[in-house]
Amino acid sequence: MRRHRAVLIALSTLLAASLATIATPANAQAAEPNQVTNLTVRQGDGYATLAWKPVEGATDYQIERTPVDAAGNPTGTPTVVGIWRPNRQINQESPTFADAGFNPGDRFQWRVRARIGTAEQPYSEPVADTTTAPWGDPNVPGQQLRTQWETTHAAQYTSDTNEYAYTAAIDELSDRVRVVEIGRTVRDRPINMFVIGYPTPPATPEAVAATSPVAVNCNVHGNEPGDREACLIMARQLAFSTDQRVIDLLSHTTVLIIPTINGDGRAANTRGNSTGQDLNRDYSLIRQPETAAYVKMVRDYRPVAGYDGHEYGNSRAGDLPMLPPRHQNVAQPIFDESMDMIEGHMYREGAQDGWWPCPYGCEGGGSVGLGEETILRNTLGLKNVVNSLLELRSSGGQTRPDEGNTANNRRRKTFSALWTFQQFLDYHRANLTDITQARAEGITLQASNTGRLVFRGSRPIPAHPAPHPGDSPPPVDAPRPELILDNAPCAYLLTEEQYHGARTDGPGGVGATVAERIAAHGWKVIKTANGYYVPLNQPERGLIPLLLDGQGVEKLTDGQRIYPTLTGRHTGPLTITGFACLDDATVTGPVTVRPGAALVATGTTFTGPVNASGAAGVMLADSKVTGPVRVTGTTDAVSLIDLTVTGPVDLSANRTGTAPLLVGNTVTGPLACAGNTTAPSNLEVSNRVSGPRAGQCATL
Amino acid sequence: MTYPRIRNPRRAGALLAAALLLTTTACTSGNHNTGPDPSLAAAVHVTGPLCDALPTGSEPGNPTALAGLPAGEALTWMPTLTTFEAAVRTSGVLDEHGTDGLTLLAPTDDAFVKKFSDDTWDTLMTRDHEKLRTLVKAHLIAGTHSLDQLAAAGTTTTLDGTTLTVTRTGDTTRFADTADAVCADYQAKGTRIHIINAVLGPLPTTADGTGHRAH
Repeated sequence: MRRHRAVLIALSTLLAASLATIATPANAQAAEPNQVTNLTVRQGDGYATLAWKPVEGATDYQIERTPVDAAGNPTGTPTVVGIWRPNRQINQESPTFADAGFNPGDRFQWRVRARIGTAEQPYSEPVADTTTAPWGDPNVPGQQLRTQWETTHAAQYTSDTNEYAYTAAIDELSDRVRVVEIGRTVRDRPINMFVIGYPTPPATPEAVAATSPVAVNCNVHGNEPGDREACLIMARQLAFSTDQRVIDLLSHTTVLIIPTINGDGRAANTRGNSTGQDLNRDYSLIRQPETAAYVKMVRDYRPVAGYDGHEYGNSRAGDLPMLPPRHQNVAQPIFDESMDMIEGHMYREGAQDGWWPCPYGCEGGGSVGLGEETILRNTLGLKNVVNSLLELRSSGGQTRPDEGNTANNRRRKTFSALWTFQQFLDYHRANLTDITQARAEGITLQASNTGRLVFRGSRPIPAHPAPHPGDSPPPVDAPRPELILDNAPCAYLLTEEQYHGARTDGPGGVGATVAERIAAHGWKVIKTANGYYVPLNQPERGLIPLLLDGQGVEKLTDGQRIYPTLTGRHTGPLTITGFACLDDATVTGPVTVRPGAALVATGTTFTGPVNASGAAGVMLADSKVTGPVRVTGTTDAVSLIDLTVTGPVDLSANRTGTAPLLVGNTVTGPLACAGNTTAPSNLEVSNRVSGPRAGQCATL
Repeated sequence: MTYPRIRNPRRAGALLAAALLLTTTACTSGNHNTGPDPSLAAAVHVTGPLCDALPTGSEPGNPTALAGLPAGEALTWMPTLTTFEAAVRTSGVLDEHGTDGLTLLAPTDDAFVKKFSDDTWDTLMTRDHEKLRTLVKAHLIAGTHSLDQLAAAGTTTTLDGTTLTVTRTGDTTRFADTADAVCADYQAKGTRIHIINAVLGPLPTTADGTGHRAH
């Protein structure tokens, strides 16, 4: 669906071909009718990919595994460990099955047989191989680290203190890793984040943001710990691997891994945090310190892509249910690219390696996977982050019948998560141009403040063409009419009480103020004599009304909708006092923003200079200016997004607390920035400037 | 804003921390990292259909290896008891009981899923401390009793004051007409542990049976 796809497919086929050289071929000739032939096995981290030639008319296949010794003699009972079904993969010509659950490093023999209807056909010749031991040379410092989950053969999950010791050891032993504490839980447990880059991670959040980082959130529900163990293993691999792939990945981006955002819930094995709050219903409202820490991290490190790990109790689902951000306020390019990550990359690679990604919900999914903006998947989408939910099917279900043993079950889940997260890194590496383009388009689309607003409701997820790797997409979840606002306002106006008033919606009846939460999200606010304006021509336009509009389903406050003060044609000088919002206007004549006043504009054409000196705020998006743009001494907010300026642009001596934004503009003329208290940022969406760029804007 | 970097130990400290992971007990939840020393106890035989799903033979957490451990620690090695283990730990009931011997009827994770919705369970674990204590006590019996002994007695009384029937039909031993022993006669220090497949006690069932909460 996007560019470069054919090349990528060819590349991945080449890669698969080269990896397959370690496979053990079985005999190529069928000795009996309907016998499976060409069985091969290829080892991954914690799983073994079986591949074979399909049998004409097969209904499904059974995968049998037998422990064997080095001489090939069985040391245990042959067991059917897997059922391959046609809905498992998009590619029917080359069936594959990722067997997992065994103790990594043990040796096995596998056979596969077809079933036609329920009639079992002859087994293939066996293939035998030793599986891959837990990652890392026991004699190499750093590589030798193991988690509690690994050392106990999955009988125990890694405890909080063991996680901290393991994390500190990786931090200390690897130059590639910096561990930062992004916050604390309600019960004061550190929330750590691995920041991983090569040869060393960039030193500051701003420098990390410049590398278009990826973020993996591993454990939001304390009773769903499988992904977290995968994250801890992956952190070790990234920190110490000498593999060229890992070096290459880390040379091109920064990997952010948050192993345990909900340490209190993990310790108590509860879904929610220690107050009982489900944190994955809180990423927009950020009532809890855990979610607030995550949102601030996103604001400062600006990941361009993300995964959010969970476990899922529907035993009829695929191995790896996934879902993109669906809220209808998510920009279309972000939704499209997230879908491409799932269906374009994960479905294809799943068919290569034998895993079964599928749309969340899957068979008998019920009413799951909807549009709540409180869910990280949707919150991140509304922040222009390409991302997906990841579920690990809790039980083995019918397709993995040997998971009655708890350790087997736990290992399959964790190693399927590890596969997904590693694939996620490969996807990011191969598609970074598409991802950053989707993000740039998402940001400019949002800042243009065009189109209706939806307070709750999802984009449809169309069924993947047959053979579908799941059985049903999630529910349509269209927005109800009363949750649609066709006429979007220009801004929300909050009173002093609404903005700074005490709140009771946090732990212990104490909540952060609206001002603090808006700051955590990173939105710009302009204060005038009337109160606090939150303009919608910002990158997170889709999220703002959900928290500040009276119609919001889970809102913070009832802000007053402010509609444009000027549309259509204006000829002659325009002097702005107070708050002016221009939308779809044409102004011919000089524009002057007086000290303490605010100019917000979208879809507007200015012919004449735009001058603001000592203004409270200047926020322009999706507009054209012929003439110089000079913004100096602004106190609250400066934002220029997707402008076409013919003439010089000068931002100087602005005193805003948040970075002045210069994002995706085309400037025919010089761009100069000097003496701004906070250095301007382009949010990694560069400006096209024909003249010289000077001072703080030299690299924007 | 800047985030405070986690305080780094000196290199020696980190290596020590790494060593800790592999060799010693270090955690708030009472976990034991290398597994107990099996030489402390004679071989322990557990019985029931679920035993195959738990560590066996020489695997970490096998029944013989657990025999010398305090009960709270032994529970952390039973991978089907993550809910009960956390409930016992959070309630603090074991710490108060002393060393007079105790028998635990330990419901499986699946049993808890069938009994309580996530919301109910989180509320019990985070706010309704007294209810949680009562729930845990409904699964504890004073004295160490093998499953055979309990079945022979026909009734037993849990620490919440409830008297339960214990009936044996064929190989199945059932408590209060609802909960079957599915892997019985684990031993820990001064303790017997019988894993059961249903939650006991007076709290109402709140699970809705769909079994899969949205992410």
